[in-house]
Amino acid sequence: MWTYEKKLQYPVKITRPNPKLAQIIITQYGGPDGELGASLRYLSQRFAMPWAELKGLLTDIGTEELGHLEMIGAIVYQLTRNLSVEEIEKAGFDKYFVDHTTGVYPVAASGAPFTAAYLQSKGDVLTDLHENLAAEQKARTTYDNILRFTDDPDVADAIKFLRAREVVHYQRFGEGLRLATDRLNSKNFYAFNPSFDKK
Amino acid sequence: MNKREKLMRSLSAVQFALWELHLYLNTHPTDLEAIALHEQYEAKLRKLRDEYESKYGPLTPIVGEGVDWLKNPWPWDIEGGD
Repeated sequence: MWTYEKKLQYPVKITRPNPKLAQIIITQYGGPDGELGASLRYLSQRFAMPWAELKGLLTDIGTEELGHLEMIGAIVYQLTRNLSVEEIEKAGFDKYFVDHTTGVYPVAASGAPFTAAYLQSKGDVLTDLHENLAAEQKARTTYDNILRFTDDPDVADAIKFLRAREVVHYQRFGEGLRLATDRLNSKNFYAFNPSFDKK
Repeated sequence: MNKREKLMRSLSAVQFALWELHLYLNTHPTDLEAIALHEQYEAKLRKLRDEYESKYGPLTPIVGEGVDWLKNPWPWDIEGGD
């Protein structure tokens, strides 16, 4: 189960609205390499993990990603406060606004709604860990791209924190992969699926 | 930054250090140095959490209910908002 903590993992306090930037950043809420997909990916994959270290790792990182989802939601919310219809139109935010007003909805920057097709849960520890290593790098690249469009230091501060977390998670998943391969045949890691085949 | 935000920042910093050690210990469960450090930060966090909750209300639904729990600001609010 989970219980809520009434705080963000890292503070978000944005005083200057910027609906154009909100439309870019929302991709980390419901986009292809976003935090919602990340948490669902790890929290779903963990059931097939054969070793306690990996059950722990996927549970914890999946949980942290939910905290990141909340941070992105807070960023989007704060960037779209107190807007006039003129400002919404000028920023090109009208296409989002017509469907959601300023409610936070899981979409990619392109407007494509969130889909489970963004993630995989393959029931094979090596396959899943490789997916996760790639996912962390894809999210890191997305944050790098977001930073190219971010000139508000209050926004950049929170985005840089989230970017750094991708790097740490990549490191931990790499260690998880090493723990897994250490327990397999060093001449052929792929001889069988330790999550399914009872060797 | 007001007093509440300052205390929240100290609490978050300690909680983050603790979390980072916790993640590390998933893949290095027998690292005694990290376990000792985790214990140190745990004590620090307990102190800061008690201080914060006594001044500004509950952080988890386990210790708080009703008006205390519902009190603004929520984590995504800009201070002063209702």
